[in-house]
Amino acid sequence: MDKPRILLVDDDPDLRRGLNLRLRANHYDTAYAVDGFSAIAMAQKESPDLIILDIGLPAGDGFTVMDRLQNSSDLSHIPVIVLTARDPQYTRQRMLQAGAAAFFQKPADHVELLNAIRCVLKPTWPDGSASS
Amino acid sequence: MSNQPTHVLLIEDNQGDADLVRLRLVESNSDLVVSCADRLSSGLAALAVEPPAVVLLDLNLPDSHGAETFREVLKRAPSVPVVVLSGGDDEELAIKAIHQGAQDYLVKGQFDGRQLGRAMRYAVERQALLTSLDMSRKQQLQFKDQFLSHVSHELRTPLTCAHQFVTILLDELAGPIASEQRDHLETILRSVNQLRAMIGDLIEATRAESGKTRIEPRCIVIGEVVQQAVAMLRVTAEEKGVGLEVRLDARIPLVWADPDRVFQALINLIENGIKFTPPEGSILVEARLMDLDAGFVYVSVEDTGSGIRPEAKALIFERLFQAPGGIDSSRTGLGLGLYITKELVRLHGGRIWVESQPGYGSTFSFTLPLFSLAKLLFPVVTDQGRLRDSIALITVQIAAQLPPGVGDWKEICHRCLELLQLCVLPEKDIIVPAMENAAQAATFLIVTSTDEHGAQVLLERIRTQLGRYEKLRASGVFKVSARPVALPSGATSDPLETLVQRVADNITEIAAAIGNENVDVSSQSPKMPGDGQIKKRGHRRAHNGQATNLAG
Repeated sequence: MDKPRILLVDDDPDLRRGLNLRLRANHYDTAYAVDGFSAIAMAQKESPDLIILDIGLPAGDGFTVMDRLQNSSDLSHIPVIVLTARDPQYTRQRMLQAGAAAFFQKPADHVELLNAIRCVLKPTWPDGSASS
Repeated sequence: MSNQPTHVLLIEDNQGDADLVRLRLVESNSDLVVSCADRLSSGLAALAVEPPAVVLLDLNLPDSHGAETFREVLKRAPSVPVVVLSGGDDEELAIKAIHQGAQDYLVKGQFDGRQLGRAMRYAVERQALLTSLDMSRKQQLQFKDQFLSHVSHELRTPLTCAHQFVTILLDELAGPIASEQRDHLETILRSVNQLRAMIGDLIEATRAESGKTRIEPRCIVIGEVVQQAVAMLRVTAEEKGVGLEVRLDARIPLVWADPDRVFQALINLIENGIKFTPPEGSILVEARLMDLDAGFVYVSVEDTGSGIRPEAKALIFERLFQAPGGIDSSRTGLGLGLYITKELVRLHGGRIWVESQPGYGSTFSFTLPLFSLAKLLFPVVTDQGRLRDSIALITVQIAAQLPPGVGDWKEICHRCLELLQLCVLPEKDIIVPAMENAAQAATFLIVTSTDEHGAQVLLERIRTQLGRYEKLRASGVFKVSARPVALPSGATSDPLETLVQRVADNITEIAAAIGNENVDVSSQSPKMPGDGQIKKRGHRRAHNGQATNLAG
């Protein structure tokens, strides 16, 4: 079976590099995008199994990206985990309402983050009927 | 002064006094325009139509006397300055009004035009100053909140980076490390975590100060939260050689609180306890009921530490308070923990206090309200001080068939609840907290104040939301139904609280009955997205108007 592929969307190169290391060490394939615009393009090109999305991004912030993903018939099935330094009081509920599967504030505990990733990626039905 | 004439409203019932004041105002040769009212009621009416620059107020009027007169004016026009006109014999009354916020007072017959004119102008200027001070204070709070929110975001990004790479090194993702290196890295990680906690506290405290802290109370088992907090700090206590015990009263019913916030409060108190307790000492975390204060649970954190001097006790919950002579005094922290804890407890409707014997230890205690369905239902089932004629009960049953090891039932339940919360309107609908959910089947009960049509709209919203939930669609089914419920009407002398309590009891019974009718998943295709069964039962009942009656 192929490794699950995760698209990292974050404008900070160091954070991308760190997360990339952590995810690859846990046997995930990664791709990345550095702004809101390329996030959509990469999602279409790479068809990832999961997107990890920052909110503060150039060229279309996380909310815009979320909106476009949800309203695009070929991308709306991709689960999204939000990982942001923004204040959860103003962003968490809005992101979950917009369809995010989970929300983490930076710095996130990597054990919890990996658990969430596993949980979101896990096929819900053993015969495969769940994954659409 | 500006070219605009200053509008003075004179509220005075004695025609002679009123004429005299007018005369003095003309004498003063200033650009004042005077209008008169001879009753408090007509004065208040004039205030409502067009607020004057200043009010000249006689406290004793035919329809109001003394300080009450001033309070009424203040209530109607809090931003208009008031100068009190006092008779020679009731100067004390005027002074009392000054204490309550009047700008000045003049004794009748003892002022000339110039003094009057000056009193007016000073009153106007002082009030303007006060108003602008108040505005800038509010703006400052707002600005501080936004600024700190921004700063915390900016601080968190480099901190995240440090955290990420330290943990990468520690987990040896970049190659093996020697034990001394591990030691150093762990020291860095501890400091990073301290910084992270401080940034969080800074935000939290500012937010509390500007009244923006939010809590999301629900039904919780307080013992579970206590155990989680203790488990989290067990290692810290052990490393210092401080004992950490828990004592829980098994009879404690469900508590109405935000579990994350209670956890946060407990962590603050226990961490504090550990900090001020020497090795060999101990900390006891206790939750119990008190006969004298039914309706609340008492949670306390008792330590055998250095204690608090009486003079510090009053200040300890204030912002930026630093206890002198802590055991680990090299890093004292920001002094925000207890302030935040106090605010969190206060938002829950509880109290917090400390008892201490210097040299022997301290006990911090706080209370949290026990869950009461009646209290929760009150705003939904009542309207303008009386019971509504009817409400609607919506039941949502979910069931899943998860093979062992696949999927997480708890997560599905949690997500369903979140989805339902998106459907309901706060204040108008209540999701009754679930008492207990069987494995792989759960029932949510929603009490809504809308009419039958509103209930159908809500049903549709719920169907759409749950229908979109992939995991539930894949491995489970759900049923949604609504039934109108008539509430006992009119002729009863019982107090409203009793009536609401009765409704709450009945709803609990209904909930229990529904809970017993288990949904059978096995006979249905797990892929069925909808709620085939419910239409047969719920809808027909609703359309026939067969209301369940709670009058009994």
